[in-house]
Amino acid sequence: MAPALCAICRTSRALIIRPKNHQKLCKSCFIAIFEAEIHHTITTTSLFSPGDRIAIGASGGKDSTVLASVLKTLNERYNYGLELVLLSIDEGIKGYRDDSLETVKRNAVQYDMPLKIVGYDELYGWTMDQVVEAIGKKGNCTYCGVFRRQALDRGAKMLGINHVVTGHNADDVAETILMNLLRGDLPRLARSTSIVTGDANSEVRRSKPLKYAYEKEIVLYAHHKKLDYFTTECLYSPEAFRGSARSLIKNLERVRPSAILDVVRSGEDMAKLVPEVVSGVSHCKSQKVSLSSADGEDEGAGGCGSVNGRNSGGEMADMEKKLRQDEEASSREVDISASIPLSANSQKHDRIGESKPPQKMGKKLVRQTLGTCKKCGYMSSQDICKACTLLEGLNRNRPKIEIEVDVEDEESSTLRRRMEGIALGAG
Amino acid sequence: MSGKEETVELLRNSLCKRCHEENATHSIRSEQVCHKCFSQYVTTKAVKRMETYRIRGSSAKPPRKLLLPLSFGPSSASLLHILDQHIQGQYDRMNRAAYELFVVHIDLYVDPVDRKDSSELLEKYKIRFPRHTYSSFGLEDALLLDGIEWKSLHIGQPNESDGKPTTERLQHLLGSILSATSRSDIASTLLTRLLVDVAKRNSCEGILFGDSTTRLAEKTLTETAKGRGFSLPWQVSDGDAPYGLGFNYPLRDLLKKEIVIFSSLATHTLAEIIIYQRTSSTVSASSKLTTIDDLMTQYFESVEENYPSIVANVVRTSSKLQPTSILDTTACGLCGLPVAEGTDGINGWGGDQNSDSRPEIKDGHYGVLCYGCSRSING
Repeated sequence: MAPALCAICRTSRALIIRPKNHQKLCKSCFIAIFEAEIHHTITTTSLFSPGDRIAIGASGGKDSTVLASVLKTLNERYNYGLELVLLSIDEGIKGYRDDSLETVKRNAVQYDMPLKIVGYDELYGWTMDQVVEAIGKKGNCTYCGVFRRQALDRGAKMLGINHVVTGHNADDVAETILMNLLRGDLPRLARSTSIVTGDANSEVRRSKPLKYAYEKEIVLYAHHKKLDYFTTECLYSPEAFRGSARSLIKNLERVRPSAILDVVRSGEDMAKLVPEVVSGVSHCKSQKVSLSSADGEDEGAGGCGSVNGRNSGGEMADMEKKLRQDEEASSREVDISASIPLSANSQKHDRIGESKPPQKMGKKLVRQTLGTCKKCGYMSSQDICKACTLLEGLNRNRPKIEIEVDVEDEESSTLRRRMEGIALGAG
Repeated sequence: MSGKEETVELLRNSLCKRCHEENATHSIRSEQVCHKCFSQYVTTKAVKRMETYRIRGSSAKPPRKLLLPLSFGPSSASLLHILDQHIQGQYDRMNRAAYELFVVHIDLYVDPVDRKDSSELLEKYKIRFPRHTYSSFGLEDALLLDGIEWKSLHIGQPNESDGKPTTERLQHLLGSILSATSRSDIASTLLTRLLVDVAKRNSCEGILFGDSTTRLAEKTLTETAKGRGFSLPWQVSDGDAPYGLGFNYPLRDLLKKEIVIFSSLATHTLAEIIIYQRTSSTVSASSKLTTIDDLMTQYFESVEENYPSIVANVVRTSSKLQPTSILDTTACGLCGLPVAEGTDGINGWGGDQNSDSRPEIKDGHYGVLCYGCSRSING
C-alpha cells in the first residue's frame, strides 16, 4: 500500500492523524494549521492591539510552553506588535516546581523573553506545602487556585502589565463546562466559556488563546517543534467534580473526537441561556463579564497539571450531604405552607438549596461591584477578598507567627521564611 | 459486619418510618419504608406533576388528549400504570376524567420477529389497561414526514420512487452513517419527530415522557456533549416545545432506580410486561460501538448510586436555562428546533478555524441544520 499523502499539501507523506478530526497530515502542515487556527482565534476575537504588553502565565508545562512558542511565532509572522513577558508562579510545592521553574528559565532564554517569578510565600506568607501541612490534602486545590489567580494578576501588576494570557486549552474549557453542570453552578457556567475574562474596569484582563486547541494537539505540537517543557502532575489531590468531569471528557473524546469542541460549543450556547439575574451578564453587551478575575475557581485546572480523573469523592459527598439537608429542610417548609400539623423542628430558615431558586436569584440580583479588598487592596467584589479570607483561616491556626500576619509585606514574609528555616533545622 | 450487611440487617429489623406499621423493605433516599409507602411515594411524586390535569370546576369539559410514548421499559410502563390509576381515581370521584391517554409504541427494530413480539406485548398492555387508545408505528414511518428537509441532509436520501419498502430505506439511511453516536442521535431525533407528528395528527395537546431524573441528567450531559446545548431548555424542562405542543416529564422527580423498584413490586404485576434493558455496565468495550448516550448512562448509573441528590441537582440546574426567543430563527431541517440566524452548521463559529473544511453549497440548496444535527450528518 502506498503511503498516505498529507490531506492538505498532497505531496508529503502523512505522519500525523489530527486528534481533532482524524485528518491525516504531514508534520509541517500540522504545525502550520495548528498555528493558523490560533492566529484565527486571536484575530476573530480581536484579542490584542499593537503595542500591548502581554504576560504569559508560564508553568513550564506543555500548555503554557506551547502558548509562549506560538505567540512568539505569530507575533513575528503577523507583526502583532506585542511585547511578551513570561510570568511564573512558585506555589512552593517541593519537587513540583523546582524542575518546572528551571524549564521556564530555559524558555526565557530560548524565546528571548523577560521572566518574572512570584512566590506564594512572598505574596501570602504561605507556601502550598505549608498550607497542606496546616489543612491536610483535602480542599487544598481551592487555596492553590485562589492564590494562583491573584498571584498572576499581582505579578502582572508588578510588571505594569494589564493582560495575562493562560494556557487553558479546549479540554480544560470543556471540563469546566461539564463540572459546572455537575455542580449546578449556573453563574460559572455562564462565565467560563468566554475567551476573555475581566472587563474594561478590571486592572488585569485574562484570556485563553488556546481555548479551541485540543490538549492532544498541543502535545503533538510541542513534540514536533521539539519544545522544552516539563511533564509533571500536581502532587496533591484534585477535586472530585473536576476529576469526574475530566475522565468523562477523555471518554467522550475516545468515542467521538469532535466531542470536546462540541462541549465547548454547547457551553458557549448555554451561556446565552442562563437567566440574566443569575449570570449578572447582560447579553446585550457582548460578553461583558464582571469580576470573574476576582473569583478563584473559574478555571482551576490551569497549572495543576493533569488530573486524570482520580476521584477523591469527598467534595461530591459533601455536596450530596448539603443537598440532602436542603431537601429535608424544604420538605418541612412545604408542610408549613400546607398548614399540616407539624412538629416543632420545622426549620424555615435552614433551607438553602432545593427550593432555593427565588432566594438565590434574589441574592444574585445584588450586582457585584468592583471594589478593593480592605486588607490587601487587591481588587475584589467583597470587602475582604477570597485570598485574604482563606489566609485569615490559615493564620488563625498558626499562633507562633500570629503577630506578623496582618502585615503583608516583604519583610515579614522573609522573616517568616527564616523562622521556618530555623524550625526545620531544629526538627 | 460489612456496611452492606449492616444495612440489610437494619432493614430487616426496622419498621417503616412513615406508617410505623409494616416492616421497612425499601429506602427513599435515606429513609427506610415499607413497600406500600414506597409505592405511595412514587405515585405521589408523579401525580403531583400532573397538577395541570386536575379536574377543575364543575363544567364538563371534554377530556384533554395526551400522547404517552410507551417503550415497554420500566419508566414508561410505570407512568402508564400510575396515570391509569390517576384517571380511575378521577372517575371514581367525579365520574369523568380531566385527560385521556393515547398510548403509542414505536418500533425501533425492523426485524419481523421483533415486530411480532412487540405487537404481542402491546396487546398485553391493551388488556391490562383497557381504558386507553393504543397505536403503534415503525421508526421508518418518520421517513414519510414532510417536516424533514431530506434534501439538505445529503445522506442516502430516502427515495420514494425506488419502490423499496420504507423499512429497507430506513436501514439504508442509518447504515450510511458511520459513527455509532451519530446513528443513535439521528434515530432518536427521527423518533421524536415521529411522535410529535403522531400527536398532532391525533389532536393531542402534549406528550408525557417517562424520563426519570436520572434520564434527564443523562440527557443534559449527552446533549451538551453532542453540541446541542442550545436545545436543552426544550429537552429537559416541562412546557411548550417549539413544535407547537407541550412536553411533560411527570417522573422527573424520581430516580431511575426508584422507578425500576416500583415497576418490579409484586403488587403491581407489571414486571412481566416490561422489557428491562441490560445494565450499562456491560457496555461494549469497543469505542467504535459505544455511543455518547451509553457513556452517560453508565456515568449516571454510578453517580446515582452514591450521590442521588447530585443527579437531581443537575436536572434542576439545566431546567433553569431559558429558551431563546424563536424570533429570527429557522427550524432545523432535521430536528426541527429553532436555530438562531448565523448559528447553523458546524462551520463559521469560533471553534471552526479551518474555513477550508466548509462544504460547498451544491445547486444553491443548502438547508439549515442545527449544530448538533450537522455534526451527526457531516462529522
